[in-house]
Amino acid sequence: MKIAVCVKRVPDTEARVKIGAGGKAVDEAGVKFVLNPYDEFAVEEALRRKEQAGTGEVVIVCLGPAAAQETIRTALAMGADRGVLLQADAIPADGFEVAKALAAELRPGGYDLILFGKMAVDDYNQQVGPMVAELLDLPCVTSIVHLDLTAGAGVAEREIEGGVEVVEFPLPAVLTAEKGLNEPRFPALKGIMAAKKKPLETKPVALGAGGVEVVALTTPAERTAGKIVGEGAAAVPELVRLLREEAKVI
Amino acid sequence: MVPAQYQPPLPLARLILPVGSEGAGDRMDLDVLFVGAGPAGLAGAIELARLVQRDNAAGGGLGDVRIGVLEKAAALGEHSLSGAVVNPRPFRELFPDLGDADFPFRAPVTKEAVYLLSAGHRFRMPTPPTMHNRGNYVASLCEVVRWLGARAEELGVNVFTGFPAAALLVDGDRVAGVRTAASGIARNGSPLPGYAAPNDIAARVTALAEGTRGMLAQAYLEWQRISSANPQIYALGVKEIWETKRPLDAVIHTLGWPVPSDAFGGSFVYPLEPNVLALGLVVGLDYRDRRLDVHTLLQRMKRHPLFRGYLEGGEMVEWGAKTIPEGGYYALPARRHGDGVVLLGDSAGLVDVPSLKGIHYAMQSGIFAARAIFQALKAGDATAVHLAAYDRMLDQSYVASDLYRTRNMRSAFKGGLVAGAFQAGLMTLTGGRFPGARIPMEADAAVPRHTGAAVDFVPDGRLTVSKVDAVFKSGNATRDTIPTHLVVGPVVPADVADFYAHLCPAGVYERVGDALGVNAPNCVDCKATDVLGPRWTPREGGSGPKYKRM
Amino acid sequence: MSRVLAVCEQRDGVLRKVSHEVVTAARRLADALGGEVDALVLGAAAVRGTDVLGRYGADRVVTLTSAAFRRSAPEECAGTIAGRVQSGGYDTVLLAASATGKDLAPRVAAKLGVALAQDVTDATAESGVVTAVRPIYAGKVLLKVRLTARPAILAIRPSVFTPVERPRAGAAETAAVDVAAGRVVVREVKAAAAGTLDVGEASIVVSGGRGLKEPANFKLLEELAAAFGGVAAVGASRAVVDAGWRPHADQVGQTGKTVSPTLYIAVGISGAVQHLAGMRTSKVIVAINKDKDAPIFKLADYGIVGDLFEVVPKLAAEIKKVYG
Repeated sequence: MKIAVCVKRVPDTEARVKIGAGGKAVDEAGVKFVLNPYDEFAVEEALRRKEQAGTGEVVIVCLGPAAAQETIRTALAMGADRGVLLQADAIPADGFEVAKALAAELRPGGYDLILFGKMAVDDYNQQVGPMVAELLDLPCVTSIVHLDLTAGAGVAEREIEGGVEVVEFPLPAVLTAEKGLNEPRFPALKGIMAAKKKPLETKPVALGAGGVEVVALTTPAERTAGKIVGEGAAAVPELVRLLREEAKVI
Repeated sequence: MVPAQYQPPLPLARLILPVGSEGAGDRMDLDVLFVGAGPAGLAGAIELARLVQRDNAAGGGLGDVRIGVLEKAAALGEHSLSGAVVNPRPFRELFPDLGDADFPFRAPVTKEAVYLLSAGHRFRMPTPPTMHNRGNYVASLCEVVRWLGARAEELGVNVFTGFPAAALLVDGDRVAGVRTAASGIARNGSPLPGYAAPNDIAARVTALAEGTRGMLAQAYLEWQRISSANPQIYALGVKEIWETKRPLDAVIHTLGWPVPSDAFGGSFVYPLEPNVLALGLVVGLDYRDRRLDVHTLLQRMKRHPLFRGYLEGGEMVEWGAKTIPEGGYYALPARRHGDGVVLLGDSAGLVDVPSLKGIHYAMQSGIFAARAIFQALKAGDATAVHLAAYDRMLDQSYVASDLYRTRNMRSAFKGGLVAGAFQAGLMTLTGGRFPGARIPMEADAAVPRHTGAAVDFVPDGRLTVSKVDAVFKSGNATRDTIPTHLVVGPVVPADVADFYAHLCPAGVYERVGDALGVNAPNCVDCKATDVLGPRWTPREGGSGPKYKRM
Repeated sequence: MSRVLAVCEQRDGVLRKVSHEVVTAARRLADALGGEVDALVLGAAAVRGTDVLGRYGADRVVTLTSAAFRRSAPEECAGTIAGRVQSGGYDTVLLAASATGKDLAPRVAAKLGVALAQDVTDATAESGVVTAVRPIYAGKVLLKVRLTARPAILAIRPSVFTPVERPRAGAAETAAVDVAAGRVVVREVKAAAAGTLDVGEASIVVSGGRGLKEPANFKLLEELAAAFGGVAAVGASRAVVDAGWRPHADQVGQTGKTVSPTLYIAVGISGAVQHLAGMRTSKVIVAINKDKDAPIFKLADYGIVGDLFEVVPKLAAEIKKVYG
């Protein structure tokens, strides 16, 4: 069972985000970077599938700067076998450019399964996984919360409004992981030591600027204090009227 | 009310485990393990790695020496907090090829001011000789630790973050390693799907560098019945980082208000950048009024014109708290080594209160420990016989002589600010010779508390913050469903619950009706609770605060 | 002349209301670019509700039918849409960034070999180039981008582009299309457990804190939530989850969920920063608290100072009148 997991190095979302001097990028000074939380579900699922199959390989693929080697090592410490860093100092805002680079690396790999996290918690693009699937002409199921594999095929569950969709698909396929798919394991002490010795290949890539040009980054306007509509139950009819006619939310 | 009456003892049976005890999952073997990736542990690991590297290059034959550093925080620096104004001496010793400009410091200290505060005014005082900081640098301990950690990893040291040490593994009297804490346990104690069992790490030498009120260091000293002339005493520091509109260009210390006259403490304000300042209030835990609340005192202090002038219009970006060992020379353990073990830094009490310095002593102790450990490894003998060299190096160094010179200064203040200032002045003038005899001290928990006036304080949410909002700014995102890690005594009357609620800066304790409520996830590992109240034990790795520039 | 395609959504043969928003946004862009809007609907058969699309600005409403479009079929839809974009020469394509749309839009973009602006909250056109604004970093930052590829593809966030009536002809066309079978097959749709609407997904959230005094009193909030006719979920502050009154899955803020519903009603919640961090990007916030100084009133758009035990039942009754 040969599985690729595409991961991204992202800033820790708990962090306060500061916009850099030029207004076109986030200030990275002092920011702690982590493995994208949705990608953790993908890595964990890959490890479980390999364990279930009894044999196979889990390969971590990451597009990012040199520092992303640490991100790959985190996944290796969880138990993945080897990693590939497609090194680019700047990741374009255009997710399609990212997808093209990843697809080029994945295409000759002969993978049975390619896993992504549903989206990255910095750019919220939520597109690279399905785009890679299109480029590789592979079936794709997004936001899965459960996965079962049989020989050459898979069954996944995804949450939709009002229910859970159960879908079947042939392998090879591309899947993106949603929160709830599994509980990612903490890297074990031995895993952390072993990760240092696992193969990690770095390949520089040149990316086009793509079709998305960053104009500016701004912070949303501070919510201004609203109004106290009134006191007690007597104020309720007025509140309801405002919610209907002014705020238009009911 | 005497806090010691309600305090359970350290759960030694859980903390000292014979090698081979049941309960561990994986087992790992290292040669040397540093417990705690603070300045002491990392400086020790770096020095040891360099000594080994040099020795191997010269054909010494030691071969691969596996050095590990265990850190309970999820990432380096996240549990590190200090003022700080750092003496660069040990950096220069560890990195002779680098200059001061290469070290992870902020600005050198140029201007300094000390003030005595009253509720509305300030009186400039001459800077006491012990507090001169020329040649020192303002720094963020988080940044220092991250930098040291990177240097350590470059030298091949294995730094394991997210792994608290929960017990010492012992073989007779010899320390043989540690057992880490388990993770992934539900509040009722049952394992969750992501459960990870404790790990046993065997090491020929274990260096305990757990920082203030180190749990395993305490356990070792108690177990081996190693005492000190005076018991260790502590202060609690609550600190904030502010981005300000008005720049600050001086290092400021204050005494007096709002610390009551029967308590010992003061504040500091350090500029990390002209418009980013670190400010904090430190109060000795032997305060007398059981309603004293250091966090609240800090909030009220910010309203004083001296601070308000800088903070108005700015934003608090981080908050944190930590205790500081204040016992000085006479509270140092009789020996800081044993078979297979050495005690470093704050865990050994190496802090000089009058100059507010501990980071460079911590690093120096790490360096000395590394040299002793290296010799022990060369001799193939990690017993106390070889490790005793660590104590000798410490005792013959400036670390011991600095602490000796100020040996009675903190204790002089146990009678209050005025008596203390008078005696401290005398000590300064006489270079510590008078009063020279040891002033006996009680442990903080043995100091009786009376009930002072109730203080009504409502935070405004901008300049002053509630404990709940403060904890949020510490970056604490501990799993809400985690089991409680605090060991509460069997009986906690209502007034003691109140006392705990005021003691804890993070709002862990609340009085709920007449009983004690415990919000364990709030804990930021400051250890004040361990000094005066329920005992602290480690939680699963990565719990607690996530300091960035503290 | 610009040609803008507004891709609509239907479920079980009925047009989803988010389609009005997509057409509204498309009309706005078409007016700025100087062009026309075609609304595209894919369904198994004729779809009910498409006749109003002209009211929101569609010059034409094109319905393409195929048995393949009966169930969720992103692969099949994407192929049809991409083909239509090319054959129709559209330079701008809008979809809804609903759960369905967020899956569909990247496939369409990749098939056309172009970029996608996902989850857009504002869109304009300047000198013939579409500019979009999207929230990133969990809504802490707004990113403004120019879409320089052709076609420009945008998926707009639901409940942001309030439908505006700018009537156009709305001429309807229907055609059957051949669709290649997809490789992913929906085997079944399991219904969600009755009554459990996820706090993170609901468009209306009614949240309670310590002010409710006892776990049993959460019944008041459940009744208020029910008054909204099944679209509201009940959330809880960390304090009450810690106390064991409500499950952790309902927690808003801190290590619970971050929610961004259209309407957030905070009942008996003082507004600790950890809670606010979890719900501050809600579109409209209502606070009910007996303490007029409670921090939550600083954030709320509308507030009532009063006894929640009197206010909440009255609010439930009034809401029931609205929702019928």
